[in-house]
Amino acid sequence: MKTFLQFILFMVIAVVVILMAIVLGELGAWYFAWLVGTGMIVLITAAGGALLDAQDEHAAHEAGIGSVDA
Amino acid sequence: MHDINVVDLSRLQFALTALYHFLFVPLTLGLSFLLAAMETVYVTTGKPIYREITQFWSKLFLINFALGVATGLTMEFEFGTNWSFYSSFVGDIFGAPLAIEGLMAFFLEATFIGLMVFGWKRLKRGQHLAVTYMVAFGSNLSALWILIANSFMQTPTGASFNPVTMRMELSSLTELIFNHDAQAKFVHTSIAGYVTGAIFVAGVSAWYLLKRRHVELARRSFRMAVLFGVLATAGVITLGDALGFIGGQAQPTKLAAMEGLWKSEPAPMPFNLVAFPSQKDQVNRGQLQVPYALSLLVTHSMDGTVPGVDRLELDAIARIRNGIPAVAALQSLSAAPGDAAALATFHAHEKDLGYGFLVQRYAADVTQATDAQIATAARETIPQVAPIFWSFRVMVLMGLLMLAYFVLAVIYSMRNNIEHQRWFLKIAVWMIPVPFLACEMGWLVAELGRQPWTVYGMLPTWMSASTHGVGYMIFSLVGFVGLYTAFIIAEMYLMVRAIRIGPDASHAGEGAGPITDTSQAARLAGYAQEA
Repeated sequence: MKTFLQFILFMVIAVVVILMAIVLGELGAWYFAWLVGTGMIVLITAAGGALLDAQDEHAAHEAGIGSVDA
Repeated sequence: MHDINVVDLSRLQFALTALYHFLFVPLTLGLSFLLAAMETVYVTTGKPIYREITQFWSKLFLINFALGVATGLTMEFEFGTNWSFYSSFVGDIFGAPLAIEGLMAFFLEATFIGLMVFGWKRLKRGQHLAVTYMVAFGSNLSALWILIANSFMQTPTGASFNPVTMRMELSSLTELIFNHDAQAKFVHTSIAGYVTGAIFVAGVSAWYLLKRRHVELARRSFRMAVLFGVLATAGVITLGDALGFIGGQAQPTKLAAMEGLWKSEPAPMPFNLVAFPSQKDQVNRGQLQVPYALSLLVTHSMDGTVPGVDRLELDAIARIRNGIPAVAALQSLSAAPGDAAALATFHAHEKDLGYGFLVQRYAADVTQATDAQIATAARETIPQVAPIFWSFRVMVLMGLLMLAYFVLAVIYSMRNNIEHQRWFLKIAVWMIPVPFLACEMGWLVAELGRQPWTVYGMLPTWMSASTHGVGYMIFSLVGFVGLYTAFIIAEMYLMVRAIRIGPDASHAGEGAGPITDTSQAARLAGYAQEA
């Protein structure tokens, strides 16, 4: 149930974001948007990878296994 | 007069080669930036596993890249061999972006790919990361230039027809590059590639997690791919709307076909969710409509309307009648280039020159064209509605499906328990073909919707083809299909083989010796308990 509610919430956020982007401009400076957007997507993706390591280290610390150095 | 069978065979050949080629392109576009993201983590954290991850996905990227290049090169030659009149007519404009693509983007990409593959031990971390980014930019810049060229075919800007040279000539490179259609189409296509790359990486990682192989590589790859994918999917949908809005204004016949809009209706217009369009009777059978939605979707207002096929055909009749004197004047200028009266007539009617060409297919002497011939030519300005209508809906449905998939994938991945959601991992594997299919559908909408033009409103498709024989076209068509099918089989074989082998055991630290990663040891212990 929790997963379902989270899914609905995030889908609503995604749809609202998309609608806002649509309303804000059909004839946008899309080349510029691509440059900025690609940089943002790459950085968030990289941050997601680093966050996974942090989560693992935290979980290992909580479990008392020791530090992780993959 | 062109043999219409040769024109159709030339279209089929180009469509098939492009569809094959476009199976490889999106993965290259997306995977290149995913590699850059993976290597960014390696450089910033210094953790060797991210180097192993980058090297593993690089291997799959290279297989795909090599076959993408092989299938793409032949297409550039096809313009000359099968579409010689088109190449002559718009070569001054179309040739420039193609040349820039070849010289700048492709060379950039090819050079840096060599450094990316062989430079791991020769370059410093930061240098190698810069090289990987250059590969990603080079790949996407290749797409940029070819899409600028394609956008000229969709919404010709930055050029004009010269009645003396009988060719289109470039008047503004800036207008050509910053064509609104080119901007939206490039970003839409590039980001569709990101989605493809993300689903591919997530799907293969899910397969590893299901098999409990290379778990640490797969978890990290899955996490990064789904974050990359969820953001990219939102971008694809946004740019899809922008492209539809821009294309709808510039190519109303394509929009009418996409929406199955046979009759013009007052605002607010309903959206045909499902329908079975009949080209012959110009009606939709079994349609299911959503009230008001079409006005909102295509005009972003409740009181906006777009013309239906009925009005577009009437407009085409008027434009054909206006274009006939331009074609006749062009014929006079061809015989006597200094004919001032013919030149004045041409300039008075030149905006509808292409529509005059349309009726030339039915009346060699356009000035003698009958009302019936003009009506037939006008009816042919409407592309085949059913395949465009359904390709568009399949593409949109897949886009929404991928958004829902990525949202759920991000939830599970951020909770750090994706490896325990085995039902979802199975779905992730089955999702791999979805973006490829969506990309192909998108291409079909764009190119089928442009018919009956090679350059919208200026050059009809029937005039553009070379004057080959039917036998030659069938022979080369069979040859291309055979060769490209072999390429697809080779790609699938090499990809599956590389995935089955997995990351190099000497690098991965898995399977080659005792497990040193404590978190992995804990995870495997968890698996053992589950089993």
